[in-house]
Amino acid sequence: MPRSVVTRTLRDGFRSFVGFAAYIILMVAAIVAIYPSIGHNPSLNKLVKSYPGTLKAFLGFGGVVDYSTATGYLGIELFSLVLPALMIAAAVAAGARAIAGEEEQQTLDLLLANPISRRRVVLEKAAAVAALVTLLAIVAFASLAISTAAAGLNINTGHLAAAAAATGLLGLLYGSIALAIGAASGRRGLALAVAGAAAGAAYIANALGSLVSALKPLRDASPFYQYGTVDPLRHGLTFAHATPLAVGTIVFIAAAVTAFTRRDLT
Amino acid sequence: MADLPVVEAHSLTKSYGLHRGIDDLDFTVEPGEVFGLLGPNGAGKTTTIRLLLDLIRPTSGSVRVLGASPRSGSALRRRIGYLPGDLRLYDRLTGRAQLTYFAGLRGLDGLGRAEELAERLDVELDRPLKTLSKGNRQKVGIVLAFMHDPELLILDEPTSGLDPLVQQLVYGLLDETRKAGRTVLISSHVLPEVQRVADRVALLRDGRLVLEDTVEALRAHALVRITVTLAEPATPDAFASIPGVRELDRRDRTIVFGLQGEPDALVKALATHHIVGLESREADLEDVFLALYQEPVDAA
Repeated sequence: MPRSVVTRTLRDGFRSFVGFAAYIILMVAAIVAIYPSIGHNPSLNKLVKSYPGTLKAFLGFGGVVDYSTATGYLGIELFSLVLPALMIAAAVAAGARAIAGEEEQQTLDLLLANPISRRRVVLEKAAAVAALVTLLAIVAFASLAISTAAAGLNINTGHLAAAAAATGLLGLLYGSIALAIGAASGRRGLALAVAGAAAGAAYIANALGSLVSALKPLRDASPFYQYGTVDPLRHGLTFAHATPLAVGTIVFIAAAVTAFTRRDLT
Repeated sequence: MADLPVVEAHSLTKSYGLHRGIDDLDFTVEPGEVFGLLGPNGAGKTTTIRLLLDLIRPTSGSVRVLGASPRSGSALRRRIGYLPGDLRLYDRLTGRAQLTYFAGLRGLDGLGRAEELAERLDVELDRPLKTLSKGNRQKVGIVLAFMHDPELLILDEPTSGLDPLVQQLVYGLLDETRKAGRTVLISSHVLPEVQRVADRVALLRDGRLVLEDTVEALRAHALVRITVTLAEPATPDAFASIPGVRELDRRDRTIVFGLQGEPDALVKALATHHIVGLESREADLEDVFLALYQEPVDAA
């Protein structure tokens, strides 16, 4: 039976993990399965290419909208929105639950009466969120690898892993924002709302920034841009683009520790 | 070390915007005693206790627990057992899983004393906590507080929700703890409970310390309510000048006296009347406060 905060938290999050994992597997399988009927359909590809720029900006992944290749298709259908959104949702839910959820259920008093520092509680909770997201990224990668192989798509396995890892990094960033807001306020709803709104704003900023040159600085600051611009499906993950996401995550976890160790618990 | 106070509060103050907190508390808990924190709901008992555990931080003043500041680090809490006033457990876990989790955080070998305590209190360990009654959950909370044999037990209203039989078992545990030389800080709004278990008492009201004294002395401050029904109405000043006696109420032939100290003078004064009813009630908390607020208390 779990005897540490990490294992206890992972155990408590198991049902949530199963739910998100099942969703990811189904989405990946369904989207990959219909590719053969779409990818070899030139008229559809022509249609997509004729989409207005605005739509392309929202659909695109790595700045390309192209249904004629498997990587282009997966980028649009899975990596531009579906997988990052699922990963962010799972991470934000877990991050908000980590401290604020426990505080709202009023079990935190009893937990912190144990010889465990607040700093360690936050770090162990963060580790549990990271483990959850890592597992989901592995699930995403495994289902992508299996589905694409089964459908006979020719995609570099290493690049699939890189793209799955990139979604995980993006999810972790927003999970750590939710953790920090929850640890600072003790309010789970606020943590969900702020982290969710931040992710939505970043998605829109990324899309609009590629259309309107005045918004380009906004786009460059968007984690979605950092996540997608290099197109990990084609080029793998680069240090330059993974680093801002990872550093952001660490900064927010540190903020969570600082805020949580300083305040009164409700 | 053994002679240092276990808890030492100096001008301890916690203010909340509009809520009541605690104001300028000074008290000490000596090693090996059971110290009762007594007061009505909202008096600041829970606030005081949460300050001792570093769950909240004082606005001003200071407190030392087992010689250290509560903020000094988590190691201090290894030596403390805590039962929150508003106990919330992990509802989805069984009692055993909850105990295992915290035993692990405390670095205990197995479950510590938990198995033995659970058996004594007759705790249901293998059902999810959410399916247990409030009393049974409270028992799990008590096991959590005692399982590592802490030097200091901090129990916030430990017997709330427990049936009288289990209350007695808990009092027994407290007696054992005292005999083993460990220290207990217990809060309660019920005077008989504090009288039963505590050596010394601090009385809180509206966040202020009204009194810190031994239980014996507190009892001496308390009023005993004596209700007398006479055959004939007495003259208004018939009992006016009896030392230690005050008329609290008079309706027709029934008079309620508040008695402090020996009843001898009152009984002798009453003996000159024809008494048809006599009832005496042990002081409860309300009466203690009555006594404290109607007369200046030199001990306070």
